Amino acid sequence: MDKIIEFRNVSKTYPSGTNALNNTSITIEKGEFVFIVGASGAGKSTFLKMIMHEETPSRGTIIVNGQNVSTMKRRKVPYLRRSMGIVFQDFRLINKMTVYDNVAFAMRAIGTRPSAVKSRVPYILDLVGLTHKAKSYPSELSGGEQQRVSLARALVNNPAIIIADEPTGNIDPEMSFEIIELLSKINEQGTTILVVTHEHDLVRHFNKRVVVIDKGKVVSDTKNIIDEDDEIEYTDEDFSFINDEFQESEQSGEALEEGE
Amino acid sequence: MRLSGFGYLIKEGIKNVWNNRLMSVASVCVLISCLVLTGSAVLFSMNVANIVESVGGKNETTVYLDDNVSNVEAVYIGRDIEKVENVTEAKFYSKEEAFERYKDKLGKEVFENMKNENPLPDAYKITMEDLSKYDSTVKEITAIKGVNKVSSHSETAKKLTSINDLVRILSVAIVFVLGIISLFIISNTIRATMHTRRFEISIMKSVGATNAFVRIPFIVEGIVIGLIAAILSTVAMLFLYDGIVEIIVHIIRFPAIPFSKVAWYTAGIFTLAGVLVGALSGFISIRKYLKKEGNEILGW
Repeated sequence: MDKIIEFRNVSKTYPSGTNALNNTSITIEKGEFVFIVGASGAGKSTFLKMIMHEETPSRGTIIVNGQNVSTMKRRKVPYLRRSMGIVFQDFRLINKMTVYDNVAFAMRAIGTRPSAVKSRVPYILDLVGLTHKAKSYPSELSGGEQQRVSLARALVNNPAIIIADEPTGNIDPEMSFEIIELLSKINEQGTTILVVTHEHDLVRHFNKRVVVIDKGKVVSDTKNIIDEDDEIEYTDEDFSFINDEFQESEQSGEALEEGE
Repeated sequence: MRLSGFGYLIKEGIKNVWNNRLMSVASVCVLISCLVLTGSAVLFSMNVANIVESVGGKNETTVYLDDNVSNVEAVYIGRDIEKVENVTEAKFYSKEEAFERYKDKLGKEVFENMKNENPLPDAYKITMEDLSKYDSTVKEITAIKGVNKVSSHSETAKKLTSINDLVRILSVAIVFVLGIISLFIISNTIRATMHTRRFEISIMKSVGATNAFVRIPFIVEGIVIGLIAAILSTVAMLFLYDGIVEIIVHIIRFPAIPFSKVAWYTAGIFTLAGVLVGALSGFISIRKYLKKEGNEILGW
């Protein structure tokens, strides 16, 4: 299985002195579905930002899709980002654009031919089940629907990786499951999925690989089912217990087997 | 970069102008005043140059030859004068001709006693291409053997030339200062658009839009502002010019250049200047945003 994201001894210290990541190494393979969990301030968003080249590491090497992101030239960054779709917690939809235009925007912004936009957008809207809402505005949609638009926008340029930063943070639990379900479906087509979340209900429900980040380090990396409820409620001091509570059993690995 | 997405980006740029219409109107107004002022200065200068030319044409400079120069020698001197740079024409003006002219002017009685002695020298009437080079040209002509002296050229022409130089310097200064003011105002307008569109910019960047793509709508916005200002300025110039010329002609008669002769020239220069200033403003104002990433763009 090919690696799609690789962190080698990556550290990140912000100019303010905050140590966001501390000598972290992690490998994510093509077609994997990975949950990334951790308390706020643990370094999850820095982790995501470095994949997208919004931040560069202070030390260490990051390889995404075969390219060294840490030494990447500025003008190459847009092309790196075209290989990933990003789903935000707050959806980030453009309010004055219809659902259709919000999705089409991602294609237009990278200079896709109008004819390609016309054929691709309806297909993606159908995939997320929003064909009938194409002409609606984001304000007319529920949270779950808005997040599906956001997902459609992330998917429309056919990225190799989907990065979802707390995709269920602003929507009700039922909808949350639907969104992850949808991501699983996309994962089955071979797309690598990274989901940052606080909601351990979700994490427990889907048998996926779980990476726990705390104090800028990967403290646990497992593909097991989490059956302890209170992982998120831990304060920093409590985190040392987490490792013991993850049970090492057979990897669920459905993502790995189905991918590509 | 593919050209296929351009239509969309250009449309977005035009939409920017409309969505941000209050600031756009302000920018257009500032740019119009800049263009009209600059245009007026240039047209004024052109008119003065025109007057100088016509005055200069009437007031030929006279080059007097030495008394003892024979007719053959005079022809050779005339050729030498014509060879001098800046001299466009040299017409021979014989002493007999001059004598007849004076006779007509002053009356035959004065000259009755001096039938056989003509006190006047032979001369050449010359015209110069550029009167501002008068002094150096005269120096060269005086250096030719057989030339006695050169009459001083018209004081009016001299004065007009110096006014024209002053206007030229002033118009360069006006172009410079107003150009910077326009640049400043328009880039602020575009920056306001950018602020309202920062959300879209952040999304464009997150889906992998190149800087060129992010930039295009804002440059188009600048160009549209520039074009509108150029068109309105040309129209304003048309009315202003004819009006002002009419007033001045009432005070002093002068050969004004009709606007129809310079209309295309004016429109062309205005368009070029407007588009350039607009595009540059767009380019300048987006630079800051392009360096930012993700939430920085949104100011979160």
